[in-house]
Amino acid sequence: MNRWIIPALAAIAATAQDARQIVDEAQKRARSNSQHYEGTLQVLDGKNRMAEKRWQYDRIGAFGDSKAVLRFTAPAEVKGVALLIHNHKDRASDQWMWTPAIQRDRRIALQDRSTRFFGTDFSFEDLEERDSAHHDYKLLGEETVEGAVCWKLESQPRPGRSSQYTRSLVWIRKDLYAFVRVEAFRKDALVRRIRYGDFENVKGIWTARTLEVEDVTRKSKTVMKLDKLDYNVPLSESGFTLQALRRGS
Amino acid sequence: MTLLRLLTWPYVRKHRLRSVLTLAGIMLGVAVFVGMHGANQTVAQAFAATVNRIAGKAQLQVSAGETGVPEEVLEAVQSVREVGAAAPVIEAVLNTNLKGQGNLLVLGVDMTGDRSLRDYDIEGGEEDVVEDPLVFLAQPDSLILSRKFAEANGIQRGSRITLDTMQGPRQFTVRGLMKSDGLAGAFGGNVAVMDIYAAQFIFGRGRRFDRIDIGAAEGVDLETSQNKVRAVVGEGYDVLPPASRTQQFDAISRSLSITINLTSVFALMIGVFIIYNSFSIAITQRRNEIGILRALGASERDVLRMFLAESAAAGLAGSILGLGLGLLMARSLSPFMSNMVRELYGTHQMPDGVSMSPWTMAAAVALGTAVSLVGGWLPARSAARVDPVKALQKGRYQVLSEGENRIRRIAALVLAAVSIAIVVTRPTLTIFYFGYGLMVLALVLLSPSLSHWIALSLRPLLRLIRPVEGTLAADSLIQAPRRTSATVAAVMLSLALAVGFAGVSRAIYTQLLDWVDDTLNPDLFVAPTESVTQRSYRFPLSMTSEIAQVPGVEEVQAVRTVRVQLKGVPAMAVVVDVRQVAGRVKYKPVDADPVEMVQLASEGKGAILSTTLAVIRGIKKGDVLELASPEGILKVPVLGTRVDFSDQQGAFIIDRSLYSRVWKDETANAFRVYLRKGEDPEAVRRRIIERFSSNRKLFVFTNASIRELIMRNTEQWFGMTYIQLLVALIVAVMGIVNTMTVSIADRRRELGVLQAVGGLRNQIRNTVWLEAVAIGTVGLVLGWLMGAVTLYYNIEMIGGDMAGLDLDYVYPFRFALALFPVIVGAAFLAALWPAEAALRASLVESLEYE
Repeated sequence: MNRWIIPALAAIAATAQDARQIVDEAQKRARSNSQHYEGTLQVLDGKNRMAEKRWQYDRIGAFGDSKAVLRFTAPAEVKGVALLIHNHKDRASDQWMWTPAIQRDRRIALQDRSTRFFGTDFSFEDLEERDSAHHDYKLLGEETVEGAVCWKLESQPRPGRSSQYTRSLVWIRKDLYAFVRVEAFRKDALVRRIRYGDFENVKGIWTARTLEVEDVTRKSKTVMKLDKLDYNVPLSESGFTLQALRRGS
Repeated sequence: MTLLRLLTWPYVRKHRLRSVLTLAGIMLGVAVFVGMHGANQTVAQAFAATVNRIAGKAQLQVSAGETGVPEEVLEAVQSVREVGAAAPVIEAVLNTNLKGQGNLLVLGVDMTGDRSLRDYDIEGGEEDVVEDPLVFLAQPDSLILSRKFAEANGIQRGSRITLDTMQGPRQFTVRGLMKSDGLAGAFGGNVAVMDIYAAQFIFGRGRRFDRIDIGAAEGVDLETSQNKVRAVVGEGYDVLPPASRTQQFDAISRSLSITINLTSVFALMIGVFIIYNSFSIAITQRRNEIGILRALGASERDVLRMFLAESAAAGLAGSILGLGLGLLMARSLSPFMSNMVRELYGTHQMPDGVSMSPWTMAAAVALGTAVSLVGGWLPARSAARVDPVKALQKGRYQVLSEGENRIRRIAALVLAAVSIAIVVTRPTLTIFYFGYGLMVLALVLLSPSLSHWIALSLRPLLRLIRPVEGTLAADSLIQAPRRTSATVAAVMLSLALAVGFAGVSRAIYTQLLDWVDDTLNPDLFVAPTESVTQRSYRFPLSMTSEIAQVPGVEEVQAVRTVRVQLKGVPAMAVVVDVRQVAGRVKYKPVDADPVEMVQLASEGKGAILSTTLAVIRGIKKGDVLELASPEGILKVPVLGTRVDFSDQQGAFIIDRSLYSRVWKDETANAFRVYLRKGEDPEAVRRRIIERFSSNRKLFVFTNASIRELIMRNTEQWFGMTYIQLLVALIVAVMGIVNTMTVSIADRRRELGVLQAVGGLRNQIRNTVWLEAVAIGTVGLVLGWLMGAVTLYYNIEMIGGDMAGLDLDYVYPFRFALALFPVIVGAAFLAALWPAEAALRASLVESLEYE
C-alpha cells in the first residue's frame, strides 16, 4: 500500500533538477509490475479506542498506469467489502466499492476523494497512485529523521491537477531512496502526517512494513502493517475489473 | 381624544357586554383568519424547513417528479466541471412502531461523499457520527439516528429498532447519532440516515434515486452550473434550487389554500357586519349625546372622527386579541391539517409549534382594524349627519324610511342585474368572481326589505304561538329594521356560506361515489402502506403474477401512480394496462368516443385526462401533454377527458407500455385484485397476506374498506364545513345577544307598561325569547335563500376554476333543515341573558324612560 500512498502524497515534478532526480530515482527503485500483501489496519481515535481490520491487496502495473484491488477479510461485518482502483496517467483514478451484503457496487466520485477512507486516517485520494510528473517540487535541504540522513523536499500539485493538499513536505532517506516522512498541508495548515518504519528489502525493493498516519485535526492515528509482502507476482488483468470485483475473485 | 375620553370611555364602561361583543366580532374574524392561515403556514413551513434542512448546502437538485433519476444520470452530473459535489438522495417515511413517535423520515445518502453537502456531526470533528463507516456501509441494516429521537426513545449506539419496510418489519442497528441541529433537525427531529443503496433495496427503488443534490464548483456561479447540468441531463429533468420543492408543494395544495382564503374572507366579512351592528346600536343609543355635542358646536367631522377612532380602537384591540386566539387555533388545527395534507397529497412534514410570518400577523391586525373601520364607517357617517334638533327629540330612529328602502332596493336590483348579465356572458373568471361579489352586495342591500317581509309573514305565526308576546315580538322586529338588519345580514351571510359549502360537498360526494362505483370495483386492493396516497414504498411489477397465483384470484391489475412534471408543475400520472382495466371499468369520457379512446390509449398513443386537470391546466381533447421524461419532453396527445378523483389537482391515465418504455420503471404502487366468482374476499385477503408475510410488507384492503378510507379522507376535507358552521353559530349568538340587549333597552318603557298593566314575568321573557327566535328565523330564511345563490356560484367556481368538475346543482335540503333547530336553539340561548336583564330593570325607571 505504501507504494501508492507515497507518490500520492509526495510525487514531485521538477522545478529544480536535483529534486527531480531524487524523486525519479526513488520512483525507479520502487517500481514493480505487481504487488501483493496482506495488511492490518489499526485505527486509534482521539479517545484511544482501537478498531482493527485486515485485508488483502493486489496491484498490477505501476505509477499512474496501474490497477489495484483491496478486499477486506476481517472483521466479519466487513468481510468481502472491496475497492477497485484504476489509476490513470492523465487524470484522477476511477474507484469503485463493492458491498456484498446488498450485492452492489458504487462509484466513488471525484468530489469524494478528500473524505476519509472508511473511518481510517487515509483519504480516498491517498489511495491513488500518481506519477511524479503530477507535481512540482523543490529541494529544501537535508535533515536527519530517526537517525537517518534525509533530503527534505516540498511538493505542490501542478496546475490542473486536482488535490485536496495545497503542498506537502517529504523526507527521503539518502541511503535507501525511500520515503520516511510526509507532512501534507491544506492551505497553511498541517492536516496529515505519515511516518514510515520497519524497512525491509523485498526482491530488491526497500519497503516500509509499518506506516503510521496521523490526522492532525482529529488527533487520531492509523497504523498499517504489511505482511506476506511480495513483488512481481503473476496476476491477471481480468482480476481487476468490475465483474471480478462482483464475483469476489 | 378628549371626546373619546369624555364620551366613549364612559359608554364602554357602562355597556361592558356590548363592548365585549363588539371586540368579539373582530376577534372572531381575525382569529379564523389567523387560525386557518397559521395552520396552513405552519404545515407549509414545516415542509419547507424539512426541505431546507435536508438540502443542506445543496444549491441545485436534479429530479424528475416522482419517477426518480436513473443511476447513470448521477455519473453524467458528476462529470460536469461546473459541479463541485453531486450526491444522490432517497427520501422515505417509515412507521416507527414506537408509541407516540409516529413516523420517521429516512434519508438514503451515499456516505462516502455526502458530507460535502450535508452536516452530520459536530463541527470540528471532535466526535464521529458513525463509529465505523466501513461497517455502516457494509451492513444494510445500518442506521444513523438524530440524537433527539434516540434520546426520546432510550436508543443508543448499537441498539436495534424495528421499522416497517417493503420486505416487512425489519430490524435496524443504530450505528451512529447525529447532533440535533442541521439535518437532524428536519421533520421535527424524527430523522434517520441510511446508505443510499440499502435504501434503494429497502424502498423498492430499483436502480434509481429520488433526486441528485448538487453544490456548484468553487468560483462557479449557480446559473452557469445550472445551465451546464441542464445541458447534460436534458429537458426531461428539473434542475432547480431546493426551494422550488416548496413551490411545488404550494401547487399541489392549491385547493386547500383557496378554501382557506374563502373561509377567511367570509369570517372577516361577518366581522364587518358585527361591527356595523354594534356601532349602529351604539349610535342609536347615544343620539342624545350626539345631539348635545352638535348643539355645543361640534362639527360633523368631529363626530365622524370620534366614531371612526372608536371603531379603529375596537378593531385594533379585537385584532390583537384575535391574533392570540388565532394562534391558539392554529396550534390545534395544524396537526389536523398536516394529517389532511399528508393523506391528500402524500407529502410529509411534522409541524412543531406554530410558524407564522410576521407579515401575516401584521396583515391580520391591519385587516381586522380595516374591517372595523369599514363596519363603523356607515354608522359613523350617519352619526355625523344627525340633525341636532331631531337628535334631541325622542323618536322612531330605528325605522327606515320608505325612501331609504326604495334606494336600497333599486341599488340591489341594479347590482343583481349586472351580476346576472356577467353570469350569462361570463367574459373572464375574474369578472365572474366580481359578479359574485356584486350579487352578495345586492342581497345584503336587499336584506332589510326581505327581513321586513319575512317578519310580516312571521307575525301571524308568532301570534298563534303567543297572542300578546308574539305580536309584541313581531311588531318590534317590523318597526325597527335598523336594529336587526345587521344581525340578520351577518347570520344570513354565515349560513349562506355553510349552505353553499354543504351543497358543493354533497355534489362532490355524489360524483365521488359514482367514480368509486365505476372505477374502484376490484374485490381487493394490495398496497404497501395503510395510506392510499403514500408513495414511499413500491412493489416490483413481478408481484402481479405472484398475486395472480394465489388461489381464488382471477385477475390482477398493477397500478403505478406517480407525479411527473407537466410544463414544470407536477401532475399525477396513473399508469395501468389500459385495455386490461377497461375490461373491468367503464371509461365514460365527456368528450370522446370511449372505444376509440381506450384503443389508442392502450396502444400508448395518448392520455386520458381527468376533467380537473383539463380545467386547471386549460387543456382539452386534441391538445398535446408535454411531459418531462428521461427521453426529454415527451409529447402525449390528449384522447379525451373523464371525471377522475385520483388526485385533487387532476390526473391522467397512460398505458403501462408507454411508461415502461420511456421511464423504464417496473414498479407498482398498488394492485387491483378481482376474485373468482363465489370466493370469499376475506379468505383470499388472508391468503395474500400469508403468501407474502415472510418477504413483503403489504396491506390488503377489501372493496368496502378502501371505500371507507376514501370517504374518510373526503370527510376530513369537508370537515371545514363544520368550522364554517361553528363560525355561523357564534355569529348568530353574538349578533342576537347584541340586538336583544339593545331591543330591551329601547323598549324599556314598552316592557315597563306591560308589567304595570299586569303582565307576568313569563310574558316579558316570552316576548324577548320570541323576538330573538324570530331574528334567528329571519336570518335563517335569508341564509337559505342566499345559500341557494352561493351554491350556484360555488359550483361554477369548482367547475370552472378549482377542480374542473361538472357538478349537479342539488340544494342541500337536509342540511338546510337541520340548521333550523340549531339556529333557533342558538337564538333562544342568546336571548336568555337579555330576557333576565329585562326583568331586573326597575319598573319606575322603565316607565320614566324617554
